[in-house]
Amino acid sequence: MPALAREQALPAGVARPRRRRARREGLTAFGFLLPNGLGFLLFTLVPIVTSLALSFFAWPLTSSPTFVGADNYVTLLTRDRVFHQVLFNTLYYVFVYVPLNLVVSLGLAVWLSGRVRGANLFRVLFFLPVVTPMVANALVWSLMYQPREGLFDWLLAAVHLPGPNWLGSFEWAMPSVIAMSVWAGFGYNLMVFTAGLRAIPRDLYDAAAVDGATRWQQFWRVTLPLLTPSLFFALVLTLISSFQVFTQPYVLTGGGPADRTTTLVLSMFDNAFQFYRMGYASAIAWFLFVLIMLVTATQFLSQRRWVHYDL
Amino acid sequence: MDCPGRLRSVARVLAAALGTTLTIAACGGGGGGAAPTPTGGRVDLTWFMWSGTPQEADAWKTVAGMVTQQYPNIHVEFTTASFPDYWTKFQAEAASGTLPCLISLQSLRTAGFANNFRPLTPFIQKDHFDVGAFDKSIIGGLTFDKNLRALPYDFGPYVIYYNRDMFEQNHLPLPTNEWTYREFLTDAHALTTGGKYGFMAWTGPEQFLPFVLSSGGSYLKNGKLDFTNPAVQKAFGDYVALATKERVAPPLPATPNSTYAQEQWMAGNAAMLISGPWSVINFKANAKFRFGIVPFPRPADKSITLSAGSGFGISNTCQHPDEAWKALTVMTGPEAEKFLASAGRAFAARTAAQQYWYQVAGPDLQTPLQVALKTAVPYQTTPQWQQVSTLLQRYMVAAINGQMSPSDALDQVQSQAGG
Repeated sequence: MPALAREQALPAGVARPRRRRARREGLTAFGFLLPNGLGFLLFTLVPIVTSLALSFFAWPLTSSPTFVGADNYVTLLTRDRVFHQVLFNTLYYVFVYVPLNLVVSLGLAVWLSGRVRGANLFRVLFFLPVVTPMVANALVWSLMYQPREGLFDWLLAAVHLPGPNWLGSFEWAMPSVIAMSVWAGFGYNLMVFTAGLRAIPRDLYDAAAVDGATRWQQFWRVTLPLLTPSLFFALVLTLISSFQVFTQPYVLTGGGPADRTTTLVLSMFDNAFQFYRMGYASAIAWFLFVLIMLVTATQFLSQRRWVHYDL
Repeated sequence: MDCPGRLRSVARVLAAALGTTLTIAACGGGGGGAAPTPTGGRVDLTWFMWSGTPQEADAWKTVAGMVTQQYPNIHVEFTTASFPDYWTKFQAEAASGTLPCLISLQSLRTAGFANNFRPLTPFIQKDHFDVGAFDKSIIGGLTFDKNLRALPYDFGPYVIYYNRDMFEQNHLPLPTNEWTYREFLTDAHALTTGGKYGFMAWTGPEQFLPFVLSSGGSYLKNGKLDFTNPAVQKAFGDYVALATKERVAPPLPATPNSTYAQEQWMAGNAAMLISGPWSVINFKANAKFRFGIVPFPRPADKSITLSAGSGFGISNTCQHPDEAWKALTVMTGPEAEKFLASAGRAFAARTAAQQYWYQVAGPDLQTPLQVALKTAVPYQTTPQWQQVSTLLQRYMVAAINGQMSPSDALDQVQSQAGG
């Protein structure tokens, strides 16, 4: 691109042969980009624009859509009490899941970066749930959460303790969904942090040790500040994906009990494919999109304060 | 342009890209049917039906083959999806006008989907087709706006399954076909012992609606959901109390697994369960105890249950409706019904074919099913019934676990799906 820009500044007579070659290169590049571009256009951009348009319609799928203006959004934000519950559930999930995920993955990454026997084996084990399909993970956990016969109740019974109704009670349903999600998801961030930790030069620790810093101080003063780019990356991605959580509640609880685990995407799915309210589902999708965009923008704005890119 | 060679290569790139896209788009689903062919020429019809196992799909393919045997010019191609996916794909195809000619309908969804089905009354009148050969209640269940939308192949009333071994181990007399709610409750208490429960409470409208009807109430008002009326409130409250007050039913996990209750019952964790005759084959294969069925217990002087089932119809975008009608009469004809019933796959909607089902499922089921059928009514629903079911699945769990009052749970369903 910079080469092209420079050419345009040259007098016309000088530039012609080079411009022609550039144009040919441009066309070739265009040709290569076209299949992917068309795919993006057809299967991403068109649906995105369509869904925005749809969010201003009431469309029960089998009959034709009717324009309702901002009605869907007004209902969503003011009248739909279930949606408020759904929003609360999603925030509950995000604000508990994200810190837990980061603490567990960071803690284990730091532990494994020391002299641990079979560290690579552990890394593989911790990463396994990430490459296992989420539906399979959730199905296995739903068996472990079963009343009486499930693993957790069985373990508790062995020490004569009664287990709670893991997936059936208001108090435990969401924590159960979160616990399963942390188990299934922390492996990815563990890898991110492992890579980040390896990039920190050893001599910084040696210097800190010479200055008399304890392990604890080394972690807070050396490791953590130098790991902030990885932390930032992990935080942004984990936040985005946790706002979009769907599979875990869909498979574990189906949104119950009493919509206590229905998340934004699950509610969107319900409205679109169970209740056939396509317009309303599109409005939820756009609400979620704006929410995620705001959160991500805030993170990018705030990173200047706490992310250190210079070594 | 002065360079035709380059132009050609660009065109080729474009064509290749476009070709790929078109191929992908073309895989999206079958068309609505080719242009009309002259009478007597070969007609290909596509039939869309749900199925859960390869064996089930094979049975339907056999039924499709019967059409060609009878009408050599009509060929039926069977296409399938799992039950939940069937409805999603159905909606998408209906929206794009690409529904196949032959489509399937479950009676609970008649109100929501009837508009995609061509009314069958004109064909019935023209052919003097005998609708009376089918059970009345399922004909009612597939009727919308005074027009039959699909010919039924199976149906069944909701009844109570009981674990015979558990009754005998507890020295209880087996329930009779005329038993009362009081007897049901006494038995449930006696069976709740040693970590086992007398009754497997579960989520879904059919769990408590028969009790509403038996007490003389109704859950619809002018075709709309009426869950706030006293009869529904009372029946639902009594049902929930089986777990919260009487403690004869276990607390439940929230789960999308629709067969959770059946699994618990088959594992012998609870003695009684609500289901329909379609479950018999599965229970016979998987339950390690002897079981029987009885009609719903009478709260007062009568017991009324709901009957639901499925059938096949013609999409209103079908270009060969006459051939499709001929195919329908074979697919739900005596031969197909005998085949499905004697394989135990369907409690036949044709009354005459039910004997074959009893031979496989068990002759002892005949009397209780006949008694239940005598007073069974079509399972009437609203267009939002799928939403009613989904919401009950979530809110009944909360009520049965005692974390939400029964009336609050019903109010939630009514306010969200009552429209």
